[in-house]
Amino acid sequence: MTKDEARNGNGTVLTRRAFNQAALVGGIGIASGAALLGAPQPARAAPTRGGLLRVATHTQSTNDTFDTAKYIYTNDYIRGTSVYNTLTILNEKGQADPELAESFEPNDTATRWVFKIRKGITYSDGAPLAMDDIVYSIMRHKDAKLASSAKPLVANIKDVKADGPDTIVIDLEAPDVDLPIMIGTFQFGIIKNGTTDFSHPVGTGPFKVKEFKPGVGTSFTRNPNYWKSGKPYVDEIELFYILDPVARANALLSGDAQMVTDLRGTAIDQVKSSEAFAVFTTPCPRYTSIQAATDRPPSNNRDLGLALTYLIDRKRLLDTVLKGQGVIGNDHPIMSTSPLYNKALPQRELDLDKAKYHFVKSGFGTAKLEIDVSDAAPFSADIGQLIQREASRIGLNIELKRDPADSYWNVVAGKRPFTAINFNPRPTYNMLLNLAYRSGAVWNFSHINDPALDKMIDDARSTPDAAKRLEIYGAIQKTIYDSGSIVLPCFLNYVDGISKKVKGLVPVPVGNLSGFNFADRVWLES
Amino acid sequence: MHPSLRFALRRFAVGALILLAVSLLVFVGCEILPGDVAQVALGQFATPESIRALHQQFGLDRPAPLRYLEWLIGILHGDWGMSMGTKVPVAQLLGERLANTAMLAGATTIVAIPLALALGLLMALRAGSRFDRAASVVVLALSATPEFLIGTLAVMLFSVHLNWLPAVAQVTFGGGWAALARSLLLPVITLSIVVAAQIARMTRATIVNLLDLPFIEMATLKGVPRRRIILVHALINAVGPIANVVALNIAYLVSGIVVVETIFAFPGVARLMVDAVQARDLPVVQACAMLFCFAYVVLILAADLLAVLFNPRLRRGIHPDGSAG
Repeated sequence: MTKDEARNGNGTVLTRRAFNQAALVGGIGIASGAALLGAPQPARAAPTRGGLLRVATHTQSTNDTFDTAKYIYTNDYIRGTSVYNTLTILNEKGQADPELAESFEPNDTATRWVFKIRKGITYSDGAPLAMDDIVYSIMRHKDAKLASSAKPLVANIKDVKADGPDTIVIDLEAPDVDLPIMIGTFQFGIIKNGTTDFSHPVGTGPFKVKEFKPGVGTSFTRNPNYWKSGKPYVDEIELFYILDPVARANALLSGDAQMVTDLRGTAIDQVKSSEAFAVFTTPCPRYTSIQAATDRPPSNNRDLGLALTYLIDRKRLLDTVLKGQGVIGNDHPIMSTSPLYNKALPQRELDLDKAKYHFVKSGFGTAKLEIDVSDAAPFSADIGQLIQREASRIGLNIELKRDPADSYWNVVAGKRPFTAINFNPRPTYNMLLNLAYRSGAVWNFSHINDPALDKMIDDARSTPDAAKRLEIYGAIQKTIYDSGSIVLPCFLNYVDGISKKVKGLVPVPVGNLSGFNFADRVWLES
Repeated sequence: MHPSLRFALRRFAVGALILLAVSLLVFVGCEILPGDVAQVALGQFATPESIRALHQQFGLDRPAPLRYLEWLIGILHGDWGMSMGTKVPVAQLLGERLANTAMLAGATTIVAIPLALALGLLMALRAGSRFDRAASVVVLALSATPEFLIGTLAVMLFSVHLNWLPAVAQVTFGGGWAALARSLLLPVITLSIVVAAQIARMTRATIVNLLDLPFIEMATLKGVPRRRIILVHALINAVGPIANVVALNIAYLVSGIVVVETIFAFPGVARLMVDAVQARDLPVVQACAMLFCFAYVVLILAADLLAVLFNPRLRRGIHPDGSAG
């Protein structure tokens, strides 16, 4: 289904101003058309009702939860979007569409946002949606006693309050033109005021929970009172986990699941060549990089880092390792398909002369350079090997260390000189920059400490003028590109496998299977 | 006191001591595991404040020896604590997985063990024959083939190509007995092949070894038929070693089949433990580890008791090497 149909289906129209805002701002927007490359075209046929949809995902955790503050895994997001709604919802361009809110508008400085909430929304148990519920659902993440994974997201929110029976006002510490996108993030699923027990979750979303077995699976039944008329299309969803990539592909091909996440390697070809199944691709700014810890030797040597950036054959990585499922990167976190992309920066390529120039200048000599890679960062071992081989041709002696995945993020990443890092897409580039490139940020694995960069990140979020914002984002990219702290060779598509009977998915660039939000989009062709 | 009873009581006491020692090892192991439950639970959004909040909530800010004692006393009362990740009692989390594992291990045991013993005996009966040599090669090859290969090949053939059986053992959401049996078939076949091959080899080897002993020679000289020698005289003496192999294999079915559980996406306890380790959900890890050790101790104990009952020398309290016990 296209964005327009969704909007008509919801019976809403954005105010012109709000729409302009949505079009202009951050998002991880993808230039039109690109998002659909390689993906099955959304069918125009009328959706059909009924059926059981079985979905197998690639992560499994005994920490499975319906508590919006405890979300960290794919499965939490999928379960969350099936049961709860958010005020806004991300579309395939990475912009915020209205959901529970029928419109939203900022004040002139973007420090206050007003959300008009749709009338007559009820929970699956019949209770009406109250404004207090929305206030609670957002403000609970600010509670010091609650360990919330959304804490960094709400840091900029000063207050949320109800203004009348159908209006929510959000006041911000600093201007944020991207707030509608952030507020559509999974952690801001709307729950009843005061909810602390999430074992029997109740939301306004398209499905009700039938059975919830943490670490094993979840089954859902249709919410007959869902506020979007005619939706959801399927009667039941069963969500379960298959960790092994081969087993996952087999489950799809044998018909045990109609949708599976994260196909890899030969499984992609296998699914492509089958008649009844298709590959569902979502280009997005997910990446695996090799990053230098810039606060210690030898990785504080900028020339050494720059030498590495010229030592990887990006095209080869894309073609052979990723099977074409990605987009070449230019050593900063913004994708070339984004309107924010800095076209003035030359694309880095395998260039032994330039690599040698920087390597000699670094004075590193014949010592061994260790790079830590891990399964925790997908494809990092392949990236490491590609760099290692080219490095040997200029006399740079690289040793790859493969670390176990389960403790990698706590023990290794950013704590040794050169480590592999992986980031899933954030709904806006600004969120990612704040999380991963700001001085002192927890996930700033390169330990970049650059007040000028911090200021640019703030300005990018608060500048309403689009041309100026573009300029600031351009300068941010140049700073990171020149820092010698990161090799970011490719962005990694999300690659899922689906039965050709599954219709209605759209590639939303924040996650697998319509940005982890397929429950009221999908239908099964009978 | 009867020597066998004394033997049994002594073994019970030793088993309890082993479990106590293991509990300490498990706890210490979990303590020194790098990584931290709060960090893992909060993922990429972790901040020092939220980590501290979670630590307090889990009581991880208190000294380790105190936590060990509380945990131990809890276990003795049948209280395994609360899962840190899901906030449900560990016993509840474990219960369903354990039922699944028991079902898979039970079905495999029922299929594999009679099959293995029969095959082993047949091979021993015809030791040196063409059948024996052919069977030995096949059994050796199968016991050396990793189960992920057997499992994956079986799925490729029966699920993807022939479309007869489901590729994953989805036992979670209803479906009735027929569906359950269908989904269990492939994992049971896979495990049975691996387990049966090993037990058959051991059975054959044990009995063939016994056949060289003087008392068998004596029986042969007295004109006892070969079939009777093996089934009556040799088999009784082979019960000890065979029971041990069988016990080890059943214990393996309970605790060590994480690869098969992964291939078939089967929700058993082995997978639960791996997931819990990754989530650093230590109460669950500790409970799984204790459970696995308990299974080993009980099964080996049962095998030893069986060996004593069937071995007159052990029954009289004398060790197999001839010394008085």
